[in-house]
Amino acid sequence: MGRTYLVVTFGVGLGALNTGNNLLYLVLGLLLSVIILSGVLSERCLRDLSVRRVGTDGAFAGEPFACRWGVTRGKGHAFALTLSEVDSPLTGEGGVGYLPAGAEHVVRADLTAPRRGPLKLTGVRVTTTWPLGLFAKTRVFPLEATLLVYPRRGFACAAPADVAVGNVGESNNPHRLDGTGDVAGLRELGEHEDARRVHWLKSASVGKLLKVEREREERRTFFLDVPSGLAGDALERRCEEVAEQAHRLIEAGHEVGLELPGHRLRPGAGSGQERAILRALAWLGFEDQREEAA
Amino acid sequence: MTRPNRLRLVLRDLGTGAAFASMAVSGQVPIWVLGLVVLALFVALMGRRPFARAPRLTAVLLVPVGGVLYLAVASGQMDLVVAACSFAGLVASQRLLSDTSPTTDGQVLLAGLLMIAGGAALSGELLFAVCLLTFAVLASLSLGLGVVEAAVPPGEPVPVRQVMRPLAMGTTLAMLGAVAFFILFPRLNWNMGARRASPGLGTATTGFSDTVRLGGSGTLKSNPRVVLRAKLTPDPGVEQLASYWVGRTYDTFDGQEWSTIGAPNKRSRTRVTLRRGAEKQVYQKIELLPAYGSRTLIALETPAKLGNALTHTVTGDKRTQLQELGGDELRFVEQGLGYAYEVYSVPPGTDADPGKMAQKEADQLLALPDNLDPRVEALARQVVGDEKDPLAAANKLSAWLQREYQYTLELGGDVADPLVDFLFVRKAGHCEHFASALTLMLRTLGFETRLATGFFGGERVGGEYIVRAGDAHAWTHVLVPGRGFVTVDATPPAFRANQSLQLLESLISLYEAIESAWRASVVDYSFRDQMNFMRDLSRSRREPGKEQRTRLPPLRAWLTAALVGAAVYWTWKKLSRLKPRTPALEATRFADAMERQLATVGVGSRDGETLEDVSARLTREAHPLAPTVSPLTRRYLEARFGQQPLQPGEASRLLKDLKQAVDSQRKQQASGTRAA
Repeated sequence: MGRTYLVVTFGVGLGALNTGNNLLYLVLGLLLSVIILSGVLSERCLRDLSVRRVGTDGAFAGEPFACRWGVTRGKGHAFALTLSEVDSPLTGEGGVGYLPAGAEHVVRADLTAPRRGPLKLTGVRVTTTWPLGLFAKTRVFPLEATLLVYPRRGFACAAPADVAVGNVGESNNPHRLDGTGDVAGLRELGEHEDARRVHWLKSASVGKLLKVEREREERRTFFLDVPSGLAGDALERRCEEVAEQAHRLIEAGHEVGLELPGHRLRPGAGSGQERAILRALAWLGFEDQREEAA
Repeated sequence: MTRPNRLRLVLRDLGTGAAFASMAVSGQVPIWVLGLVVLALFVALMGRRPFARAPRLTAVLLVPVGGVLYLAVASGQMDLVVAACSFAGLVASQRLLSDTSPTTDGQVLLAGLLMIAGGAALSGELLFAVCLLTFAVLASLSLGLGVVEAAVPPGEPVPVRQVMRPLAMGTTLAMLGAVAFFILFPRLNWNMGARRASPGLGTATTGFSDTVRLGGSGTLKSNPRVVLRAKLTPDPGVEQLASYWVGRTYDTFDGQEWSTIGAPNKRSRTRVTLRRGAEKQVYQKIELLPAYGSRTLIALETPAKLGNALTHTVTGDKRTQLQELGGDELRFVEQGLGYAYEVYSVPPGTDADPGKMAQKEADQLLALPDNLDPRVEALARQVVGDEKDPLAAANKLSAWLQREYQYTLELGGDVADPLVDFLFVRKAGHCEHFASALTLMLRTLGFETRLATGFFGGERVGGEYIVRAGDAHAWTHVLVPGRGFVTVDATPPAFRANQSLQLLESLISLYEAIESAWRASVVDYSFRDQMNFMRDLSRSRREPGKEQRTRLPPLRAWLTAALVGAAVYWTWKKLSRLKPRTPALEATRFADAMERQLATVGVGSRDGETLEDVSARLTREAHPLAPTVSPLTRRYLEARFGQQPLQPGEASRLLKDLKQAVDSQRKQQASGTRAA
């Protein structure tokens, strides 16, 4: 729009100079002063701003993740700010319509990282087209950080390798296998867990379903691996597959370990273990950067 | 997707309407285009966007419409600018009714901008200024809201209230900037492209015909529209001029209507002299407005010379010639929306030579209708008695008519003998009845007379006098031996000028005053005005009657100086705050200076050797200068290629170190030479 506006301004100016029509001079004056005013007001909008990143949990490649920045302005108001990461493959941007003085405003954006691995973030770009949307003014705030991008979430075609530890039974879901030993405690019934282990008396008194935990739960242990020698698309595909298998197994209550070239992750269960597996997979092939970051 | 802010869309649509109105006020936009755009605007303001479902199809519909406009231009039925403006209006309408998006908004407002430029080319009306102002304000607010709306995350409210104030302030500043640019930007050529007149949205209300028919009704007297503007030199300096502005005269009355026996002169001229001599004549620069609607020239009684006529047409001004007709009438040869010309008139009360009259015309000054009622002559004799002096007789009869007869605009319509009806039946009539009665009664007594028509009045607005449609008037010319034709008016003085509503008259006078200021300060603004403005900022004006200026500069000069000083100080302060930047070629200059210094001790670069090569060579050779040159070379490479520019003063400091090393090397060389 700004370009077209400039062309129109040029045309009106040419007409004014050519004909000497005072009304065209008046219109030209208005068009030019709007250009100057746009520059001044947008510059004022970007003055005295400070930006910080509000922690990002981590991101999966190829799908939007929530990124947040805290924007503050010391003096005066700012309008129509658009924030994005500078010089990075992250796509997407967040915006704030009105930023009052003194208060921090958290801008949320859904960004997308195209590939797995650590992403070096160098700064945040703040853009405004205030007041009339004719021209954009940008300022880059240097903010160094590393964003770890986990493998893309998708489907795992292959089944995981045979169970390394644990009994073999009809059910492959430890949640459906009753543990043995004394009662260790009560906890809330989780998703997909067997309702037969609900302690009904306590559940009725508390008002929510509570499950009996026994001393020994029956679990199986899996070891997933990414063979050495893989590179490029093959490596990416394997990482995605392993991540998906780990997710499925951990969700089913199993313990999962990871075998990577030059790196081994002990078996474990729960979301913490899944996060550890994802992090290990994200760093795979980028070990040099990991050392730098350390 | 967030629903677009309703206020923003309303502002956008109204702004587009104002842009279209800036063209429409010229009255040149075809009525069908006007209708379509108004309809589209109404539908858009209702919040309906019927073209959103088929934007491409409706856009394709614009092609045949453009074709129709093109054919109208090609066949000469439409001005190219009008066609372009009309098409811009239709494009804007199509966009108004399409789906709302930032792209659409931009297109609508850019089309509005084109329409505003078109309006500037089509007319110089004051209404254009109003439309421009309205468009600028509404479009700015709409664009600003659009920008903020785009930045607000989906689902969150648009902070309209917070946005409006800074936007309004910004728009005001933009206006002030536009005015400053307009005043200060040098005008390099004459204002050729301005159209002095446009048809406007009203129709012409006055005019002159070849005959004046008594009867009918006189609604014209209550019309306050301005038909004529005149700048007089010398300036009478009175608020109400109360002068006769003559258009033409009539000498033949057939019982129903007045006409002229004079034959038109077929020759057209750019300048017509009716009477010789230019002693103390009143100069008039007259502009006839579109509301006038006739080609007859109007001038203060009694006109002597007329010329320099311009016709205002829709495509601009052009020179036109004048044609003489019977009854002392002068007409513009070409039809136009309005006219501008210059006139010299004999001052009121001065004896004026009636000029050479043909015998037939002279005889006609006594002609009476065949079936004139004998009571008319008897009545005239009864009033005038045996008065022989034509002027005294005319004044006596005029005073009697004013005293005994009523002025009215409510007439019964056409009657068989309107003069008898006026004198003996109704005893009431308007100016044409009074003037006809006086003219004919004097003729029955043997005095040579004729009927004159034109305007009576003149109201001061700014430095000019305006005449309204309601000032249309008729009076009598009495031929007095040795003095020429003398004006005698039988109409009661209170009813000679227009009789419109006082409030309406005041409003039109106010509008005319504003428009006069607009014309003087904007439409006709020129390089001379700019020079005067600049001069007035620094010098005091020479007061009329005072030969010498005051010694001290005026207050505005002090204010200007203070403003300029403040602006310079502010700029200096801003610039001094900026971080001094290292010139881009600083590193290269630094390398050149190093090489020059090294050359003085014979270690300059060989063919194709860079500074880096020189430094490496000196290191290999274990040259005493190597420890000094090596870090300097590294610094040069960092500055040139490593995006680590030299800091201010760093180059000179480094070069100083090198100079010291070079000097000590030179001393060593000199001592070695002496030892040898």
